[in-house]
Amino acid sequence: MITTVLTLLGRRLLAAVPILLVVSALLFCALRVLPVDPAAMSLPPTATIAEVEAKRRDMGLDLPLPQQYLIWLKGALHGDFGSSIQFRRQAGSLVVETLPATIELSVLAMAVATVLGVGGGLLLFHLRNSRTEMIADLGSLLLLSIPEFLWGLILLFVFGVLLQALPFTGRLAPGLSQPHITGFLLLDAVIAGRFDIFWSAWQHLILPAAALGLAFSPAIMRVLRSSLFDVYHEDYIEQARLRGLSEGRILLGHALKNAALPTLTLAGVQFGFLFSGTLLVEVIYSYPGMGNLMVDAVRNADLPLIQTVGLTYCIVVLLINTVVDSLYVLLNPKLRVR
Amino acid sequence: MRAISRSLRSPRVMIALGMILCIGCAAVFAPSIAPHDPSEQNLVSLLLPPAWASGGDPAFPLGTDSLGRCVLSRLIYGARTAMTVAVFASLGAMLIGSVLAHISGYFGGLLDWIIGRAVDVWMSFPPVILSLILMVGLGTGLDKVILAIILVDWTRFCRVLRSEVLIVTRRDYVAAARLLGFTHWQTLIREVLPATFPLLITLVSLEMAIAVVVEAILSFVGLGVRPDQPAWGQMIADARQYVYQSPSNLLFPMLAIFITVAAFNLLGDGLRRTLDVRLADIGR
Repeated sequence: MITTVLTLLGRRLLAAVPILLVVSALLFCALRVLPVDPAAMSLPPTATIAEVEAKRRDMGLDLPLPQQYLIWLKGALHGDFGSSIQFRRQAGSLVVETLPATIELSVLAMAVATVLGVGGGLLLFHLRNSRTEMIADLGSLLLLSIPEFLWGLILLFVFGVLLQALPFTGRLAPGLSQPHITGFLLLDAVIAGRFDIFWSAWQHLILPAAALGLAFSPAIMRVLRSSLFDVYHEDYIEQARLRGLSEGRILLGHALKNAALPTLTLAGVQFGFLFSGTLLVEVIYSYPGMGNLMVDAVRNADLPLIQTVGLTYCIVVLLINTVVDSLYVLLNPKLRVR
Repeated sequence: MRAISRSLRSPRVMIALGMILCIGCAAVFAPSIAPHDPSEQNLVSLLLPPAWASGGDPAFPLGTDSLGRCVLSRLIYGARTAMTVAVFASLGAMLIGSVLAHISGYFGGLLDWIIGRAVDVWMSFPPVILSLILMVGLGTGLDKVILAIILVDWTRFCRVLRSEVLIVTRRDYVAAARLLGFTHWQTLIREVLPATFPLLITLVSLEMAIAVVVEAILSFVGLGVRPDQPAWGQMIADARQYVYQSPSNLLFPMLAIFITVAAFNLLGDGLRRTLDVRLADIGR
């Protein structure tokens, strides 16, 4: 069974390659037709026109666009994504430095979203046909109206400013420095055996992760509730009831397992959205991840960096969707027969 | 049409339309409601608290920001920006998306394949990233924000509507219309479009909510409307820097965004229920 899933995963990954090529080509063209001259930008303002022209030739900007793309692609396949204009460093290494922070945040946020989503979905379902159903339903709709951007600000306002309970800038308290092992701060702190760093990093992560999790949980809640409704029409629920099982056991032992599948698909799709949603939360909390790098690059029209970071986001989201697709097959026996 | 007048009487839709009407009025009549010019700076009264708090000035009901500008006036003018973006961006995205969806679903074949692949590629860009990249190219400004949202979000309409068009096209009355000698154009306008219309307006109201959020996000990051134009996202970005001195400045634009987005979502939800639109979670 594992091999089936692995072949499937491999096939899906292969299918993602052409999409990735088209995406990278589009990104490349879109950024090259902009009225920004990377050659002029990477030189001091006192440079003469001749110097700019020489730089242009040096950077290959005088070549036709398809040829430029091929040169870039060749470099990219060798791990060279060009260098950032503002930082004067390899764009690839900047991404490698910031990606773990963003992954850490998004994984924790996904955990929050799943716990809240499943808990909330069960609660919503439990409240069905009761007087509070209407209120709970409206409540979940209102929750759906609060995007991660607003959650970030609300939590910052309540826990950071009003209660002053948690820090809301950066990844660590000012006095501490990060041990560089894997880039995943929580993990590094454990490896280095520094409990103070772990605690500080944890405190800094809570608000951004909660903000993202809160924003993405209502969708999971609502899907879980509606698939529970569907499952409760099945005969085996009535059967379980006739066998004398308690309602709680029917819900958790029988219905939840079968309702989990559509919920998982949605959760996977949500994880893709959530990953790109980290960008805003990072900006709000000045969290040094890829989102802040992207915004920095965009504000300074740092084309090579925009291209690399943008492409990284696309790759990660594509990867998440592909893995979720294959996971779905692993969990759904009906799809495995083919 | 009867379905629409029925849905107008549902409480959700009525409440939502009432809220939207209020925000819309604030937007339209901003110059006569706002107590101050939104960009007028009062450098002697910086970061004032709201009028009811101690140290507040009744001339500035909701206080002032870091440049001494009246928060209430900026909120009211910000509604103008938000509503303009909501209306034009969602209508634009609807127009492109639904035209392509109808062509794709009705004619099928190669056209359908091309449009389908275009949507696939488009949607593999995360929306936030795509809109940021577009804003680099387009530059800042209200019209650019609208254009960027249209260019990002037409796929939402296209994907959802296409499957609806596919279903409708297979109905007997559409075949009957063709047999009666209707041209493709007539069939699309007179037979298919009325059937997809409920879904269309539901999607538009949900898209308006998204557009308000995206505008706020872009302005927050500093890539939205021009700096001299008041926008809620900008107010938040400004208040974020002075959050300890004046926390209320952060609260008001957040509330404004929340109320507006909730109103549009409530409208969408009400329409979906009363018009009996089959709509799975369409994601964000």
